[in-house]
Amino acid sequence: MSAYGTTRHHGQTSANSTPASTTLFRRLTWEGTVPLEIRVDSKELPANSDRGLECYYIQAPRVSYLPLLMPEIRRFLMDVVFDEAAGKMLKEEEWWFESEEGTLLKWHWPIGLIYDNHTISASIRPPSQTSTSHYNLQVTPLKLILHLASPPTEKLLLSPSAESCKQAYMGQLKEADFIRWGNTKRMTGLRKQDQDGIWEGIKEHNFDDYWRVASKIVPTTAPARSSSPPPSTNPSMHIRPPSADPQSAPDRDNAYNVRSVPVRLYLPDGPVMQDVVSPTLEDGSAHTLVHYLSTHLPLLFPPAPYSGPELAYAMMHGVLVPPDAEMAWLGACMAGADGWVSVCVGIAR
Amino acid sequence: MASGSPDDSGRQAALPWTPGDVSESATEALQALDTYKKKDPSKVVVRFKAVGNAPIMRQNFYKITASNRFQAVIQFLRKELAWKAGDPLFTYINLAFSPAPDDTVSNLYKSFATEGHLIVNYSTTAAWG
Repeated sequence: MSAYGTTRHHGQTSANSTPASTTLFRRLTWEGTVPLEIRVDSKELPANSDRGLECYYIQAPRVSYLPLLMPEIRRFLMDVVFDEAAGKMLKEEEWWFESEEGTLLKWHWPIGLIYDNHTISASIRPPSQTSTSHYNLQVTPLKLILHLASPPTEKLLLSPSAESCKQAYMGQLKEADFIRWGNTKRMTGLRKQDQDGIWEGIKEHNFDDYWRVASKIVPTTAPARSSSPPPSTNPSMHIRPPSADPQSAPDRDNAYNVRSVPVRLYLPDGPVMQDVVSPTLEDGSAHTLVHYLSTHLPLLFPPAPYSGPELAYAMMHGVLVPPDAEMAWLGACMAGADGWVSVCVGIAR
Repeated sequence: MASGSPDDSGRQAALPWTPGDVSESATEALQALDTYKKKDPSKVVVRFKAVGNAPIMRQNFYKITASNRFQAVIQFLRKELAWKAGDPLFTYINLAFSPAPDDTVSNLYKSFATEGHLIVNYSTTAAWG
């Protein structure tokens, strides 16, 4: 990770003025996958099911959603596990997932977030015998129990259909847009085919299709003037001067010019915290992850000077993020496909 | 968390750590975590605004506990409007977007409050969906 550096300051500028490093991190974020082990609740298996095979393993894209996996899971179960007649009786809209620990899995959370949230929640439970790593970040399948009936609708909040997942997703994109710019003009300005296209990009896990539309709403890390030398380490360069040329599109879309970065902070077993996260601090310097964490969770990330042991860690897309990463940069390069930077905090051991 | 779900022999009980298991720093971290888990007992003002031909409420300012989920706001609104289950009701913040139902009123208030109010628009048809 550290070999790639943490700032926007290197890498060439490509034709569409997206720096190569930005594209690299966007691709790394997009290509991330997590292993899932899906097991049908043995008490709910229909009669005559093939009991030896009720487990299904899948390497799922982090940016995808559980309702999008359902056709594949269903196909497997129908082909291999369920008796044909019994399988036809099952209603897919009554299926729902639970973790091994009994946590309901939400239809509208990205799969990667479900996985990371499980990892940090495990960090406050007694260490299991198999965990040896300090952060317990080794990749093991997340074990899911698939129930075939009686969904706890009140707690799941949304129906399991791909359509309601899409609506929830669009809501998240719009909320992120509003956080960044104080309005949703970029989102509402998208044509219908683009709005559908961005969701298709997720459904088909197609990076290019997704970014063709997403680049119209997600800010860039491109320097404010294409002719200017690479930005110095002085972050104040990124603040829009009062008389900024309104025609300068890269400036208008610059990650360091947003009102606020869409960030949510996830703690083990909840809660989820969200408020205004400005890209720069009052002194003009960039707002870094370590500053953000020590402001919001000072008991877990004590502000400098602090020389005690590390109490907690911050993870995004399954990787530990360097403390000096800038919030604006994270918003442009490491946001999920829903536009949000999801910071998962676990307890260090 | 654990509910009436099937008893899995491989399941680990979510016991608190015993002192022998954890370092001092982990104990400190778990205590710190508890302070962040405390529910915010404060209340915030939510202002409901009808959109289109949605019925208008006689009273439209309400104080709602900040730790509530947005889902609770939706349910409250439906009750106040005597809305039938299954009849569509769309809710938005600042005439702009529908928040996730599991987001808290506190989070939404901190990010989107206007002059001390969280403005919730409601409509019988999808408006900004």
